[in-house]
Amino acid sequence: MNVEPLSFMEAIVRRVQLNEQDKELLKQEADWGKTIAPQMADIFYDYLGRDEEMNAILNAKEGRIHRLRETFIQWFYEMFTGIDGWGKAYADCRWKIGLVHVRTGIGPQHVVPAMAVVVTAVGQQLRRDHKPEVLSDALSKICMIDLAFIEQAYSEALLQETGWTQALFQRLIAKGAAQV
Amino acid sequence: MAINVTKLEMTLQQFVANASNVQGAALVSPDGLTLASSLPGGMDEERVAAMSAAMLSLGERIGRELNRGDIARILVEGEQGYGILTSCTEEAVFLILADHNAKLGVINLEIKNVIGELRKQLLGLAQPVGL
Ligand code: HEM
Repeated sequence: MNVEPLSFMEAIVRRVQLNEQDKELLKQEADWGKTIAPQMADIFYDYLGRDEEMNAILNAKEGRIHRLRETFIQWFYEMFTGIDGWGKAYADCRWKIGLVHVRTGIGPQHVVPAMAVVVTAVGQQLRRDHKPEVLSDALSKICMIDLAFIEQAYSEALLQETGWTQALFQRLIAKGAAQV
Repeated sequence: MAINVTKLEMTLQQFVANASNVQGAALVSPDGLTLASSLPGGMDEERVAAMSAAMLSLGERIGRELNRGDIARILVEGEQGYGILTSCTEEAVFLILADHNAKLGVINLEIKNVIGELRKQLLGLAQPVGL
């Protein structure tokens, strides 16, 4: 494996500038997060269900939606707790979620807009509940970290299968892009 | 030991000049960077390097998947001739281009000889070449 989940997360944490105040705030609001998680799940799966392609994926297996609703609620709550305070357990969990999506054939073209739906829905709920804007910023940063994991799982899967190094992969992409 | 790039380039140039029907040669890293090359004009050296590294790596994967053991070489045969990739060291892939009149037995022998020399220059010691 080219990617070590914890160091990958540390790099993304730096890039999105998630700081200690963000983490503290999220932990303080974890109970609120737990309360609104089921509503967020409803909005999320309603959105996925309205897209023909994603709806087909969701219904490809018996009981999948039901199971997913539960895992989404759990995922949502963990954005506030950071599982182990955004340490190894958090990174491993997000890495696993990324790989599950890649194995299921769900790509960035699905997860990027889906994450945007989560960010918007949380923002609206925040305003309804008169929560501070900084909480909205902190949550958006976490969403971007989790999104980065799903995206990274894609290239990792390709590198795994081809034996290519990350540098070679980037070189091929750059060369390919120059031709498009 | 420092690698003498000029010497590597010279070895490749001599190889291309002397080996029968050989039109070009390059030594590239597994990351797809050119270490040394003597390629026909008009070829995009960077692209050739990246594709060679990609192909050797993929070839090794295919070989493993198909239970072919260690891969000795990867051969691309086209109307205009051959492209042959051989693993030189862990950090270098050797590519040669030969025209369609090339005799593969002869070419393979030439590759074996020059790889021995290239390895010596890259690793600073002589290694048995098991092609
Ligand atoms: C905002 C982005 C998303 C988040 C946070 C998310 C969250 C999750 C979580 C937590 C799991 C469980 C992973 C595990 O088994 O450990 C999961 C699995 C899954 N998700 Fe997502 N998801 C996202 C986007 C999507 C999209 C766009 C689809 C498209 C249909 C989708 C469909 C699935 C499927 C099919 C599974 C696997 C279900 C199974 O195990 O059979 N997800 N997701």
